[in-house]
Amino acid sequence: MIPMDIIKTLKDSYHVMIKDMIELKRNRVELVTLAIMPLLFLVIFGFIYPSGNSHDNIQMGLVNLDQGAGSNEFIAQMETMNKQIESTTKNSSYMSFNNYSSVDAAKTAINQGKIHGAFVIPPGFSNNVTNGQPGNIIIYVDNSNPQVAASIEQVSSGTVSGLNGVLAENNVLKLGNAANQQINPQAVIAPYTPNIVTTIPGANNYLNFLAPGLMIMIGMMAVMIGIPEAFSKEKETGTFDGMLSAPINHLSVLLGKTMALSVRGLLQCIFVLAFAVLLFGVTIQGSLLLAFFMVILGIFSFIGIGIMAVSLAGDQSTGTMIMNLLMFPFMFLGGIFFPISQMPWIMQEISKLIPLTYAADAMRKIMLLNANVADVSTDIIILLAFGIITMAIALPLFSRSMKQ
Amino acid sequence: MTENAIELKNLTKKFGDFTAVDKLSLDIKENEIFGFLGPNGAGKSTTIRMLCTLSTPTSGSAKVAGYDLIKDSAKVREKIGLVAEKMIMYDKLTAAENLRFFGKLYAIPKQKLEDKIDELLELVNMQEWKHTQISKFSTGMKQRINVIRALLPEPEIIFMDEPTLGLDPQTTFSIRDITRDINKSDVTVILTTHAMIEAEALSDRIAIIDHGKIAALDTPQNLKNLIAESDTSVFGAKITNLTPKLIGKINSLDVVAAVAQQDDHNLKISANGTDALNQIIDVIRLEGGNIASITNSNDSTLEDVFLAVTGKTIRDQANEKAAPTHHRHGQAPKARIR
Repeated sequence: MIPMDIIKTLKDSYHVMIKDMIELKRNRVELVTLAIMPLLFLVIFGFIYPSGNSHDNIQMGLVNLDQGAGSNEFIAQMETMNKQIESTTKNSSYMSFNNYSSVDAAKTAINQGKIHGAFVIPPGFSNNVTNGQPGNIIIYVDNSNPQVAASIEQVSSGTVSGLNGVLAENNVLKLGNAANQQINPQAVIAPYTPNIVTTIPGANNYLNFLAPGLMIMIGMMAVMIGIPEAFSKEKETGTFDGMLSAPINHLSVLLGKTMALSVRGLLQCIFVLAFAVLLFGVTIQGSLLLAFFMVILGIFSFIGIGIMAVSLAGDQSTGTMIMNLLMFPFMFLGGIFFPISQMPWIMQEISKLIPLTYAADAMRKIMLLNANVADVSTDIIILLAFGIITMAIALPLFSRSMKQ
Repeated sequence: MTENAIELKNLTKKFGDFTAVDKLSLDIKENEIFGFLGPNGAGKSTTIRMLCTLSTPTSGSAKVAGYDLIKDSAKVREKIGLVAEKMIMYDKLTAAENLRFFGKLYAIPKQKLEDKIDELLELVNMQEWKHTQISKFSTGMKQRINVIRALLPEPEIIFMDEPTLGLDPQTTFSIRDITRDINKSDVTVILTTHAMIEAEALSDRIAIIDHGKIAALDTPQNLKNLIAESDTSVFGAKITNLTPKLIGKINSLDVVAAVAQQDDHNLKISANGTDALNQIIDVIRLEGGNIASITNSNDSTLEDVFLAVTGKTIRDQANEKAAPTHHRHGQAPKARIR
């Protein structure tokens, strides 16, 4: 290709892009959708993700079959702890207690969904405690809701071990006093204390994990859904013939439309970022410039797949179907919503085949860990290679499909 | 420029087993209005698409404006304009924006492009709609823009695929006037249509095309003369108690080439030989048919020619589209005509 041709191709691509942008600008519904979709994704995925301590006011049953001094003290302590957590962290308690007279009544309440679990203090609890025997407590949980069940187990064992700690501390102090020794009870009860420090400031926030991946994913979706849609629409309305019967390189149509879609994807990424920062308190540690470079690279790596789909499909509905088929595994195996390291090994292997995995990984490193280009160079190389290889396969397919 | 605007040599297009255009060979002279007439699925649009480089021929070759269709497709695209059946324009863009976008693809210099847009809008009397979005236009207005869009690069050859399909009579006439004007400014016009009147009103020469082949090619007048000179005649018969069985009986006569039902009572019958009318009347009477009238106009229309050469009326086109390789009605009468 001689340089003049390249300049003409680029110019034509630019005209096509501008044309597409004007069309988008005039389409109000599409514009609104463009802004709302990132918000929707953030809200939905940010809030439905079950994060251990997200449950408030879990309705719990309390069955005290002992009614002795020991059990009453235990219950009083438990309620105090519940309130303590309440006052320090949030406005509501972890659990609310409802009294039941028998185990069967509590079980029925669980089955009816009135409560999610129940503490049962068996008869003889007070006696056991005063006689130096272990005081057993039975905790029933609602198995039909694994998330709440896990939460109850966590909170209950936390509460109970807290109570144990308080009791143990008292006992150690008593023993120390009896032996006339100064003892730090904590050093005796829990000699190992972990101190969790992050490499970046700020608390762990699921949206912090979500936002970078979501930016890449939304950019990807803009291109992957957009390409089949944009091409098929022009094919079906016949406007494609107008462009293809003009003396232009067919590549410029492809280039122009892809550029318009990338701008669109970038816009949505900016929306994600803005919503995440303004509404959800997401903090960004790294370079925004590098982050957006990553988004563009991510988008680039998906273009080839989009073109392949539109070239092979022929019509819009088939193209969109192929894209949906691909996007589903991309979304859930690309490590956007769930960390890949938590997946079973086979899923981890599959996720390695997905470009989104690398893009999302790099994006998180850049935005959360302030990584530089060198830190994410592997991701960059893989994405570039993926983009170039898929494009090399897609372009001949595209040229062929243009001239059926 | 060459003497012929377009030369086709055995141009063929196959879609799988179906042959849409079958070894088409013909020359279209410079500066003529050439009409392709045929039912849907006859191969008209496929031919046009190939000549516009939108579709690659399966075999054969063609020269458009002196350039080889396949080797010099880029050059060909510089010389042609396309008025497609599906209008080439973006609803969300204004008339001027549409024209400007396509003009830029032809690398028309900026000022020249603006002047050209004004000039063309004036040609179709739509200056005051210049900055209105296409979505607000009527079909007729859209078609005017569709036509002038093709004229932007000042093409040597303009292809018009069914340019008046679905338009009201007034717009139809105005599009035809524009077409003649275009032709007067030394532009070769290639037209496809399944409207007889249109082909007759506009074309210098007409190719009747059916099943991807040329069934007849001549000036409209010569085509009509063909019927008068041949021993083929086309009758109109009005039968008050018309039944499918009766039509079948008429069709089975040796002298009858084709029968086409016009409506509940009227038939058009294409037949050969001097005794044909007698035999037809005999068989209708024998079957208990009640003949209200028989017409045999000496002044045959292009529609009669069409029936005679293709064995079907334009009414058959719906079936034609559904089953492209459908049976042919009767035996092929073409051989006798040509």
